[in-house]
Amino acid sequence: MSNFMYVAPEQMMKDRAEFAQKGIARGRSLIAAMYDTGVVIVAENPSASLYKVSEIYDRIAFAGVGKYNEFDRLREAGIRWADSTGFTYSRDDVDARALANYYAQYLGDTFTEGPKPLEVELLVVQLGSSLRPTKIYRVAYEGTIADEPRFAVLGGDAETIRHRFQATEDTANNLSTTLRLAVAAIAGPEREIPTADLEVGILEDRGHRRTFKRLTDDEVNALRS
Amino acid sequence: MGLPLFPPTSDPGPSFLAFARAHGLITETTDHSELSAHATTVVALRYNGGVVMVGDRQATGYYIASRDVRKIEAADHYTGIAISGSAARGLEFIRIAQLSFEHYEKMTDASLSLEGKANYLSPLIQNNNLRTPFTVVPLLAGFDLSRKIGRVFEYDGAGGCYERSDFAVIGSGSPFAESTLRLGFRADMSREDALQLAALAIYEAGDNDPSTGGPDFVRNLYPMMVCIDDNGFAELDEAYVEQTFRTISDRRTQSRGIAGGTLR
Repeated sequence: MSNFMYVAPEQMMKDRAEFAQKGIARGRSLIAAMYDTGVVIVAENPSASLYKVSEIYDRIAFAGVGKYNEFDRLREAGIRWADSTGFTYSRDDVDARALANYYAQYLGDTFTEGPKPLEVELLVVQLGSSLRPTKIYRVAYEGTIADEPRFAVLGGDAETIRHRFQATEDTANNLSTTLRLAVAAIAGPEREIPTADLEVGILEDRGHRRTFKRLTDDEVNALRS
Repeated sequence: MGLPLFPPTSDPGPSFLAFARAHGLITETTDHSELSAHATTVVALRYNGGVVMVGDRQATGYYIASRDVRKIEAADHYTGIAISGSAARGLEFIRIAQLSFEHYEKMTDASLSLEGKANYLSPLIQNNNLRTPFTVVPLLAGFDLSRKIGRVFEYDGAGGCYERSDFAVIGSGSPFAESTLRLGFRADMSREDALQLAALAIYEAGDNDPSTGGPDFVRNLYPMMVCIDDNGFAELDEAYVEQTFRTISDRRTQSRGIAGGTLR
């Protein structure tokens, strides 16, 4: 005789959400913010090789927090999706919104139907062009997709960091100040984050087709000083 | 296309080809058609700071299908790729190579080595040439960042990849271009000498091979000239290319059409 316990759907969703939130909260945070000529993504990441911020396509970047193996697989799927869409149609037809929707559907399905929800939160960032506006899409663990107007914060302690950044955000204009404010917001008043523990990627027009660039420690130091 | 996720046991990895094949993005043809345009001459030549590539721009079928085809393209920042044979498959080939190298770079956060890029093309050529009538033979040349030298790779029709220490030639005008290079090539040439010799090789091919286009002074269309050094892939500007071919052509007029002598 089977002895399944009845669990109310509300309770199940709550448990799953708690489980995912706990996993995400264990990781460190990141901020993506628009500045005058591009978008910067700043992550606290002590590893110099396991990246949280990556290039997806010419004008699209990806960032993930939570379990590395889970969001890295989604990053790879995003690159494959973008490259094959551009190959089949045209490079102009690769749109971040479509990718963010796919991520949202996948995370949403896994949240309700999978053996366990994915412990990740994702960002899909698009640098604007004559075809599309600059966009920061945030995709939460349960598939909620949000179109963030100027900046987005992911990871543990996101709410506190969001308030800290929001309080100073109107003074952010160029890359250097935006980066400094983002680092200060992630760090909080009591500590300093050394450049070696930062991972910084930007989307910016530099006269090339590919606009993503991972900044070196020296470049970040120069911008912070 | 949906989100392409794979379980670890069947993940195609950073190879775009492996992924694209699994998804039918690349069509494998076996039917014969008379619509493909053929013939070409492209040379790649090592010099003391990198490689130069020069190629004609004519697509030939039963008539001249196009006079301004770009048969040399940057495969990535430090690599040039050139094609001969079927134009349709050749241009697709360039697209796949460009995309594959970039795909690998984004997936793994590291660039393929120049040798890795050269080897990657082999099975693609083999698969295309042994299964379809639309033969493609490419040429890969680039600046090897780890060794700080220019390197040239040529292929045979079955996909065999061979590194050349001096130069490589592809296309129907090969015999004429190759003869010119054989007479003029020296180790450690300067960039300028290499460009002039490569241009002359293409001029000779265009002069003798009906399916290779020479400089077109009527339309101001000239062969493509490219240099790849530690600064990456760069096309020579139009004025330089025009001047180079005008000089060769004027010399040939002065000698009343007779070729001969060093750099003639």
